[in-house]
Amino acid sequence: MQHIWIVLGVLFVLLNIAAGLIWLERRMLAMWQDRLGPNRAGPLGILIVLADTLKLFFKEDWIPPFADKWVFITAPAIVVASVLMSFVIIPFSPSIIVSDLNVGILFFLAMSSLGVYSIVLGGWASNNKYSLLGALRGASQMIAYEVFMGLSLMGIVMLTGSFKLSDIVNAQKDVWFVFKQPVALVIFFIAGVAETHRLPFDIPEAESELIAGFHSEYSGMKFGMFFIGEYLGVTLISAMTATMFFGGWLGPAFLPPWAWFFIKTFAFILFFILLRASLPRPRYDQLMETGWKVLLPLVLLNLMVTGAIALWIRG
Amino acid sequence: MSALTILLDANVNSSANYFQIGIQLLVAIGIVIVMMVASHLLGPKRSTSEKLENFASGIESHGNARAPMAIKYFLVAILFVLFDVEVIFFYPYAVNFKELGWTGFWEVLLFVAFFLVGFIYIIKKKALQWED
Amino acid sequence: MFCKNKTCNTIHYSPLTIHNYYMSDASAILTSLHQQFDAVTFVPQQTVDNIDTLWLPKENIVAVVRYLKNTISAPFNLLYDLCGIDERDRMGKEKLPAKDFTVIYSLFSLDRNKFIRLKVALEGEYPSIPSITSLFKNANWYEREVYDMFGIKFEGHPHLQRILMPLTWQGHPLRKEHPARATEIGPYRLINETIDREQDALQFKPEEWGMKRESDDADFMFLNIGPQHPGTHGVLRIVLQLDGEDIVDAVPEIGFHHRGAEKMGERQSWHTYIPYTDRIDYLGGVMNNLAYLLAVEKLAGIEVPDRVKVIRVMLCELFRISSHLVWFGTFAQDVGQLSPVFYMFTDREKVFDIIEAVCGGRMHPNWFRIGGVAQDLPKGWDGLVRDFVKYFPPKIKEYTNMVIRNSLFKGRTKGIGVYTLDEAIEWGVTGPGLRACGLDWDFRKKQPYSGYEMFDFEIPTAQNGDCFDRAVVRVEELWQSLRIIEQCLNNMPEGNYKADHPLTTPPLKKYTMQDIETLITHFLNVSWGPVIPAGEAMSCIEATKGANSYYLVSDGNTSSYRTRIRTPSFPHMQMVPYVSKGYTVADLLSILGSVDFVLADIDR
Repeated sequence: MQHIWIVLGVLFVLLNIAAGLIWLERRMLAMWQDRLGPNRAGPLGILIVLADTLKLFFKEDWIPPFADKWVFITAPAIVVASVLMSFVIIPFSPSIIVSDLNVGILFFLAMSSLGVYSIVLGGWASNNKYSLLGALRGASQMIAYEVFMGLSLMGIVMLTGSFKLSDIVNAQKDVWFVFKQPVALVIFFIAGVAETHRLPFDIPEAESELIAGFHSEYSGMKFGMFFIGEYLGVTLISAMTATMFFGGWLGPAFLPPWAWFFIKTFAFILFFILLRASLPRPRYDQLMETGWKVLLPLVLLNLMVTGAIALWIRG
Repeated sequence: MSALTILLDANVNSSANYFQIGIQLLVAIGIVIVMMVASHLLGPKRSTSEKLENFASGIESHGNARAPMAIKYFLVAILFVLFDVEVIFFYPYAVNFKELGWTGFWEVLLFVAFFLVGFIYIIKKKALQWED
Repeated sequence: MFCKNKTCNTIHYSPLTIHNYYMSDASAILTSLHQQFDAVTFVPQQTVDNIDTLWLPKENIVAVVRYLKNTISAPFNLLYDLCGIDERDRMGKEKLPAKDFTVIYSLFSLDRNKFIRLKVALEGEYPSIPSITSLFKNANWYEREVYDMFGIKFEGHPHLQRILMPLTWQGHPLRKEHPARATEIGPYRLINETIDREQDALQFKPEEWGMKRESDDADFMFLNIGPQHPGTHGVLRIVLQLDGEDIVDAVPEIGFHHRGAEKMGERQSWHTYIPYTDRIDYLGGVMNNLAYLLAVEKLAGIEVPDRVKVIRVMLCELFRISSHLVWFGTFAQDVGQLSPVFYMFTDREKVFDIIEAVCGGRMHPNWFRIGGVAQDLPKGWDGLVRDFVKYFPPKIKEYTNMVIRNSLFKGRTKGIGVYTLDEAIEWGVTGPGLRACGLDWDFRKKQPYSGYEMFDFEIPTAQNGDCFDRAVVRVEELWQSLRIIEQCLNNMPEGNYKADHPLTTPPLKKYTMQDIETLITHFLNVSWGPVIPAGEAMSCIEATKGANSYYLVSDGNTSSYRTRIRTPSFPHMQMVPYVSKGYTVADLLSILGSVDFVLADIDR
């Protein structure tokens, strides 16, 4: 029974974070851009979250006649469901974890790679040229960056000898992995931004080029699902970064472990928003080139150097 | 071979773990369905002629969007499949790296060398070069 | 005519005199043309703008243009403008070789720093003339425009199709018989059949443009960008022929923003046309007023006081800063950088604070007048300007660091949209786009107007002619504009804000209450507007986006007989397909951003 409560609790918190990010992102962007942002509904405009959600529910559930109906509906569902599933293996605290799988990282990689289906299917089902171009870009980008994302985490796996996230957190009791694996952190985060296709890597959407890219034809709640999926993705990558490189729930005892976890995750969410506020978008082929020609060799090098040093220290 | 057995060992997990994943899956899908159905029931239904056309910047769309696409995208996808399969071999190595020691390290280094040869070949073939 | 009006100059036409044909350079060209084409009769015409003007028969136009472009030393290598005039209602045209229509070629020589104007008289209801598209790349759109506006056909033009008006349009708007007011046409009803007809006309047919639908190994995708698209900065349509994401070819379609500004010039009085000019390059504000008024003042023979010149220069440079800020912010946004546009629009507000204090208006102040400006500078203007001059330099530095020095931005703009100096001239590029190719050409320096010769400033250039260099040149221009403004601030001359001339608007009121003659004059000049003496004049200014000209033809009336607006964005947009071939969709956005166009400036 306790498991069910954890599942429900985790999902409840996640959906609220995703919704809260609507407000947080708009407020933070506004702050960094010398604007006010939403400030009318409720204190500091926080009720915009409620207003936005309700609005999405009361929007027309429109499926264009030229679209492929079932694929069109499935695409946004996949992104939300797959990201929610990824959270299964995240240790929010020593006791709050849905399932502490011993293939945790593999499960995370598997689930997050499902996200590409929603882009490809959504873009294809829309029967719109912008959507199709966005989908093709998205697919190439996401699958390319998945290779590096997986590899970048292997250094940590080598050091801990486990795919299990609670083991990885516990292995950071003395030193966070950010100090042992700084290159991996950078690559993982870049890959994470590319996976969630957020600015500067929002190439599948690229507003000034492709209108809204793969979700040009989406409206109402189905558009909202892509939206929530994106925020959940941001939260997921932030949570993973905190867990893998920054000691997860570890922290001085004056705060409970889950609080440390949320503080760390929150910091990376803010970093995501800061990236969006500050960087221009590279071109599609530049992103791909960097990925294949810089990040891939770099991540392999990181693995080999990590291995060599670890073996050498052990003797 | 030992790597594979250890990977298989990983699957011998307490079934309770997967029970929770099952619950999470059910609830996650449930949430998605509830959201979609609720919005379907709550939202208005107004069909106008503008909505019947796909968006092409204000001009009636011309031709089919599902036209054959440039081969380059598929090339990248196929390369991904190749590399991803190769990269997967690192995973069992990483988790067993301590047991395998220096011997394993040299073997993997050899593997990386092969991997890089393929990679350089692809770059030389300009398969990853986007512009002609 | 109302010649009780003392100020009304009697109508006199520029004498067609060969013997006093002025200046050695001009006569040298004429002599060499006579030697080259001995059988051809060239008829020179004197105009008040002192631009060599020659009438020639239409059979020779291609040969003469080729000679001027290719054969002579210091050639006329830039087709500055090409326009038409419907001469059928023109008063006093007997004294000119004009017939029913005239096609006018304005060529420019960068080596000589000189214009030459070739005129060809055409006879008949829908005459035709050989095309010069084989000689100048940018003649293509200009000839299409003349065809669209007058129905004059260009033989040998590769694709003579309407350009500004919808394909379904009836008639040719700048012909004198075409209605100039909505009330003359009858109410417009948008019924379903009309929508269908218009949408059908908008369908893009690749075959018409000589494009293939597929290559040997792939089908091309035809991607429609605009008119409703976030990346086009207005109602511009570009149809892309794509192979994957690579642009094989592109066809821009313009005219969605066409409001008939040139036609309106023929209805409005000389004075009441000023607000329309504000809306041509709507980011340039009073700079448009200046281009128009310089031409009017040449026709009227008005010399403005120094104070007027400096006030005008100051306002123009403020608008240059404001326009460049809009460009800078939106350019950064085009390549995906979201924040700079907010900072830059905030600074633009600071410019507008000054403009608002001085003019009362913001984007369209409509503040310059024939012979002066609307009012003297308000008390405290210098404080506002001084604050801005202090405030702005650190901001430019900040933005340079934020955008120009960002390596992702460099990656998106360096080596993208490259054209050489020769290509730029061939396509009629002026302004920062030309200076980014390494040529320090600025009309403020080369042909100073409105007292620019009094100011100390430099012409920024760059060498590579890519998107990045065009951006760098514009940012550097912000510094130079600021320098000019500072000089205006410190050296503002005393004096009147208006010329003491009977044709200024609003007319001088000094003696109106003292004698009936001046009262009547004043009354007429207010109600009908001034009567500008007959003649032709072209102004040429360095506007925010390049060379902007008004070519005005007066037949001695209260409104212009023909108002031709040469805008920089028109040829720049024409060049976009040529520049963007081989780049990707994302690069197209960089290129469009770096060109810095305004749709109203293209379509007028």
